[in-house]
Amino acid sequence: MSYGSFVNKSLCSAAMSNKSTPEAQESFGFRKVPKAEKAGLVKEVFDKVADRYDLMNDFMSFGIHRIWKDMVIHRANPQPGELLVDVAGGTGDLSRKFIAAAEKVRLRRGGAPATAIATDINASMLLCGRKEEDPKTLYWACGNAEQLPFADNTADVLTISFGIRNVTDKPKALRNMLRVLKPGGRFLCLEFSKPIARAIEIPYDLWSFNAIPAIGELVAGDRDSYQYLVESIRNFPDQESFAEMMRQSGFARVSYSNFTGGIAALHTGWKA
Amino acid sequence: MVKDAEPRNPDPKLLELLVCPVTHGALVYDREKQELVSKKARLAFPVRDGVPIMLEEEARPLED
Repeated sequence: MSYGSFVNKSLCSAAMSNKSTPEAQESFGFRKVPKAEKAGLVKEVFDKVADRYDLMNDFMSFGIHRIWKDMVIHRANPQPGELLVDVAGGTGDLSRKFIAAAEKVRLRRGGAPATAIATDINASMLLCGRKEEDPKTLYWACGNAEQLPFADNTADVLTISFGIRNVTDKPKALRNMLRVLKPGGRFLCLEFSKPIARAIEIPYDLWSFNAIPAIGELVAGDRDSYQYLVESIRNFPDQESFAEMMRQSGFARVSYSNFTGGIAALHTGWKA
Repeated sequence: MVKDAEPRNPDPKLLELLVCPVTHGALVYDREKQELVSKKARLAFPVRDGVPIMLEEEARPLED
């Protein structure tokens, strides 16, 4: 069954009335908005797209986002008994894959089932993602990446997939995610990145700026949200800049791999 | 629209893993009010359809 009908659009609505100062500007797509408003605006976008989110991702990326996510899980190397915290976990797809992969190991070696917590600032996304047939050890909690509701040294693995781009204060979120990770824990961040060759960049730009907002309008009846998604991808720091931001935030052994010619990149790091 | 007669409760294992996002202190689950209470932060976080909403701006400040 679907929880789509339960979605309450007012859930998790941000404090939009926050005072803001003109100097604290933050990018919202290509627009500049007061820093205090960014979270609310991003939330509005995801409230609107929640029920069509996975479908839209399929249309926009020709289904490739599923392959990227499989690669993230392969690199995460889930083990029985481990706890995953998936930040910006939206519809829970990474959490399900994590539990399923650990379950395969468990069939051979035994141990306890893995646990995953899908955390998202947007309750609509979580309520749309939740399914009756989900594994018993998959949990859902609304939370902000900059202020996670978990104790220090809790998670074996922490993932954030297509989420960090939408976070207002990225270094703060990185420090918070590091805090929640156990020493020796793995951090994996999948995000759109900078194509490594012009031959990829040119058709990719054409697709992004022309096709994606149009598909957004057709499939989800919402051009503006998808226009925001495309613009926010272009504003995100490139591979090396984001790796440096991770190091500055305290991650050890930071590295990255390009997926599909750098359209996406997987950044990984450790908590020392 | 299908709706559960009784409110969904969060899994006890999840409640064990959650802390107050502001103070990182312990939370007490108030089943009646469907709230997770952080005594240290003087905040009550709502639980909606079994999903704890652990956002400071969504929490209810505790009186007295």
